[in-house]
Amino acid sequence: MREAVFSSPFFGITLSLAAYCIGVMICRRTSLAICNPLLISYLIIIPTLLLAGIPLEWYENGGDLIDMFLSPATAVLALTVYRQRKLVRRHIIAIAAGTVAGCVTSITTVYAMCRLLSLDGIVTASLLPKSITTPMAIAVSQSLGGIGPLTVLAVIFTGILGSILAPLLTRVFRIRDEVVQGIAIGASSHAVGTGKAIEMGEIQGAMSSISLVISGILTVLVSIPFS
Amino acid sequence: MSILAQMAIVFATCLAGEALSAILPFPFPSSIAAMLLLLAALWTGILKVEHIRQKSDFLLSNMSFFFIPAGVRVIEHLSLVSAIWWRFIVVVVVSTVAVFLASALAAGLAMRFGRRRR
Repeated sequence: MREAVFSSPFFGITLSLAAYCIGVMICRRTSLAICNPLLISYLIIIPTLLLAGIPLEWYENGGDLIDMFLSPATAVLALTVYRQRKLVRRHIIAIAAGTVAGCVTSITTVYAMCRLLSLDGIVTASLLPKSITTPMAIAVSQSLGGIGPLTVLAVIFTGILGSILAPLLTRVFRIRDEVVQGIAIGASSHAVGTGKAIEMGEIQGAMSSISLVISGILTVLVSIPFS
Repeated sequence: MSILAQMAIVFATCLAGEALSAILPFPFPSSIAAMLLLLAALWTGILKVEHIRQKSDFLLSNMSFFFIPAGVRVIEHLSLVSAIWWRFIVVVVVSTVAVFLASALAAGLAMRFGRRRR
């Protein structure tokens, strides 16, 4: 009975949907910067599986079906860029400069810090794509021989951190240009940060979504020779 | 356009992305290939936004839900996480701040350069 229920694809899907909806509800109520529906989902699902002694394989029967949507969710990011094509054309040089600088800084700082803290090659490969959006980061991590779930953890943590720090850093370093703010948020903290950018203003939101897509593509391209 | 037709278009693009990534002589993620194909189709006018709008907006506005299983698999690496957690946090914090500032600096300089030229 137990296996029949918990190894059904409906179990993994229902648990994931329920956990995410609870996460969205909690975040709406508290409106804290640290609050993130995805983070809350993990805090619900992982202990549930561990405490109930449900093997990961059973959860994955449903989880794999959700995974299938990662690729379409990445593909439709094209629509984000297309919708902002006027802004892309007007600020093409700033976008190029900001995303290239972000991409290079991300790779060099992660690599240097991992060496400095003597983290091994597998962990380094998992952390290298941490500044780009999850589906792209998983792809880069896999091709570099990293651990996918560790990459996801780093990406989400980066996103939450970015959305907390962005308003602070723009104030401290007097980054007043809305276009520049958006580019920096997208390059440093991908889709999660973009949520914050949209709150800061329409231009910031649009620039951030363009920046996250371009930064992702750049990181994928840079990682090709090393895979 | 009906939602089923929109789904067919988006999934067909993903399939074409898989094909493109298999043909390319270097490893290239199929999801990014699909994104570039979709962007090309929109830009050339082969596809109109209307053809994929509802399906795309559904995926975009619920994007993080689809990352749940990918992160739950960390369950298999809990001992690794507990061994490296503080170094993990240091790397993420330092590089996130550095990327933000480098990107803002470069974009800011480019904006100033562009304005002076005009």
